[in-house]
Amino acid sequence: MRARIARRVAVNLAALVAFVLFAFPVYWMMSTAFKQGSDIQSYTPKFIPWPPTLENFVTAVTRENFGDYARNSLVVTLTTVALALVVGLLAAYAVARARFRGRKGFLLLVVIAQMAPFEALLIPMFLVLRGLHLLNQLPALVITYFIFTLPFTIWSLRGFIAGIPVELEEAAMVDGASRAQAFFKVVLPLLGPGLVATSIFGFITAWNEFLFAYTVMRDNANYTLPVWLVSFQTAFGTDWGGTMAASTLFTLPVLIFFLIIQNRMVGGVTAGAVKG
Amino acid sequence: MIAETDTKVGSEPIVGRRNGQGAPSPLRAAVSRLRWALPYLPILPALIALLVMLGYPVLLVILISFQKFGFAELIQHKTTYIGITNYIQILRDPFFLAVVVRTVLFTLSVVGLTVVLGTLVALLMDRLGGRMRLLLSIGMILAWATPIVASTVIFQWLFDSKLGVINWLLTRIGLFGDFTNYSWFTTGFSTFAIITLLIVWQAIPFVAFSLYAGILSIPRELYETARVDGADEWTMFRHITLPILAPLFMILVFLSAIWDFKVFTQVYAMRQGGPAGQTVTLSLYAYIQGISQSQFGRAAAASVIMVLLLLIVLVPYIRRLLRTLET
Repeated sequence: MRARIARRVAVNLAALVAFVLFAFPVYWMMSTAFKQGSDIQSYTPKFIPWPPTLENFVTAVTRENFGDYARNSLVVTLTTVALALVVGLLAAYAVARARFRGRKGFLLLVVIAQMAPFEALLIPMFLVLRGLHLLNQLPALVITYFIFTLPFTIWSLRGFIAGIPVELEEAAMVDGASRAQAFFKVVLPLLGPGLVATSIFGFITAWNEFLFAYTVMRDNANYTLPVWLVSFQTAFGTDWGGTMAASTLFTLPVLIFFLIIQNRMVGGVTAGAVKG
Repeated sequence: MIAETDTKVGSEPIVGRRNGQGAPSPLRAAVSRLRWALPYLPILPALIALLVMLGYPVLLVILISFQKFGFAELIQHKTTYIGITNYIQILRDPFFLAVVVRTVLFTLSVVGLTVVLGTLVALLMDRLGGRMRLLLSIGMILAWATPIVASTVIFQWLFDSKLGVINWLLTRIGLFGDFTNYSWFTTGFSTFAIITLLIVWQAIPFVAFSLYAGILSIPRELYETARVDGADEWTMFRHITLPILAPLFMILVFLSAIWDFKVFTQVYAMRQGGPAGQTVTLSLYAYIQGISQSQFGRAAAASVIMVLLLLIVLVPYIRRLLRTLET
């Protein structure tokens, strides 16, 4: 009995320590963001930002071009997601519902594309975009991120479509609906959660991307938020309050979206592994 | 679950489906003869996109790696093939070899730490009550969801030499001496240590959640029987959990290796490969050679070598995936 209690205490203690280790850096970002300048500069760290201030957020947001960066990030991210969703949905529907020659070859292409090390394709993609006179322009990033997210979009939507019973479409078509009607009236409404989860993944990928944005966008005004965040830090290395406020602002949308789909994230990538 | 292995694929062929109404007009007959093409239309945009925007760069990186391609060639649009000169040049460069060895060692330590610690967290989750497990999960989601760029900046702040909370804490603990104004970014090793910590911190949640889901799928009776037979925790892990979850472990190791080997953002944003190029990894090398110094040929050769090394891990992984695709 005593051993069991000791065990339970140890397990819970370990969990508490693990929680602190995981959560502390994020807490430290947010608490620094709300701290007074003098508290940030203090050699004895202050763990609770009291009295809190919004000063750091004002510093971050009123930095030159912040509006441009935020707009660039949003435009690139949303366009990418929309594009990948339309193109991906078409392909996913065909792959999930039709049997045709080359279907497996196409799926293999998608799987390999999903694993493609884009870091190794930086040089040729840079040269291609340069040849198309797209350097320093937002469409260059849209094209790049579209290709990053398309394979996963197809793969993921294919799984969701396969989860919808074919009988529903068949019934609709027996009642006189065309295949297109069956798709728009039956499949699409049922696909809602799948579309949300898939597009959030695309959103996070495009929103966070740094390497290509940093390489392709040479002009200050064309930066996206990740590039801005890194340059913010290097340009004003000592303004930790402003940097942490900027990081908080940048993190918040991702955090919210992540919470919506987190239970789907786990199974996704490793699906089929246990059966293998 | 996203992308769950489907069971219904192809059970309803589009091809050859007819509603059978109306007399067959010549136009209708022509249309129905073209029906085989129907499923190809919707995959066409995706196929073209993948081939043009992914296939072409793949081809291009290989071609460029055999070319003399610097700034002059870029401006003059000249193409000069020089065989394997680029490869010989970088393979003779002691700095490049150091970069390769460093990248491999770095990947091994990150993957090792991630999987071992992720396993421990998963086992811990399995032993927790509902509320503590939720707390731990929330902590992990916070770490997981933080954008890489933001988390890199956070770690720079945590490990700041003057005002960083880590130096304050280590000095307070006192076991390791005085860390006041200690600078973590003056040696390659300590800089790598922080980058490793950062990546592992964000990579554990995925591994832990996946393994925890795997553990839940193992029948509890197995453990109960083993416990009756007097097995301890370690024995049960070795003889029940590990063998049953071996395929899952394999996938997690593969995926982590693929992700960590080509990592760029954390390393670059932390210290741009510094101090003195001591934290330059393969993807940074390609970036510096190609984008910063316009040595596109050599950068392409480095990229090709990077992919070849990656293939050692990728090939068995894709073969595995193919097998699950078939079932």
